[in-house]
Amino acid sequence: MGLVSRALENAGIPATLTSWNAGRTRVTAPSRATFTKLGRGATLGNPGDGAQQRRVLEATLELLKEDAPVEIVRLDESVPE
Amino acid sequence: MTVDIIENREEWEAAYNGGWLKHFNETGETKWDIYKRPDNKTQPSGTGIDPATAKLLLVTSAGSYLKATQEPFDAANKLGDYTIRRYPTDTPFEALAYAHDHYDHAAVNADPQVLIPLQHLRDMVADGKIGELAPEAVSFMGYQPDAARVADETAPEIVAVAKALQVTAVLLVPS
Repeated sequence: MGLVSRALENAGIPATLTSWNAGRTRVTAPSRATFTKLGRGATLGNPGDGAQQRRVLEATLELLKEDAPVEIVRLDESVPE
Repeated sequence: MTVDIIENREEWEAAYNGGWLKHFNETGETKWDIYKRPDNKTQPSGTGIDPATAKLLLVTSAGSYLKATQEPFDAANKLGDYTIRRYPTDTPFEALAYAHDHYDHAAVNADPQVLIPLQHLRDMVADGKIGELAPEAVSFMGYQPDAARVADETAPEIVAVAKALQVTAVLLVPS
């Protein structure tokens, strides 16, 4: 996704993403990103937790307001204990 | 400032073609300890936009597709699938299926919004937090070991869709 983000930003279209996999995403150097401690297959939040999904979405979309490059933002969102 | 999609692409291609891909072609095995990921250092520059005024495109790598009318992604292909699918953003979740063998579908089957937040985005439009949602979403199958093909095929196709739909911002949700 980070590579797609770069292509979009190159084309003048602001792009933002969120990832549970900081290591793999960081090396693609996306224009704007949030990182969480959520899990594979549930990137925006835990199933049934709409409030968490909305928090991740809103924080990730908020980055669109800034001119890129934007420093990566870590969100305190994770899977339940 | 624009950037190369893959910095030091020749080096990456040499490592991929001469390492992971060569091993796969010789053995049929996907040997991840010899797989080299891109190692980009420079983020692209670009002008921001207030989401409240944006026309937003959702791009997901969930491998979702319209099960009644679209071909599934080639999920079993160990070399990946670099194509995309487009479907209307008012598609009911029940009309979607997922062709992607590299994540557990339990969460997305229980609650598709964990990867395809179409109802959340519609709610945010209603709340005035997003200006408008593009009439279509884009999906691809996120298992794509050949980064050069992502740069040359998948990414340009998504950019073309974004331009055709005249969106002003994109949300990317990996799986």
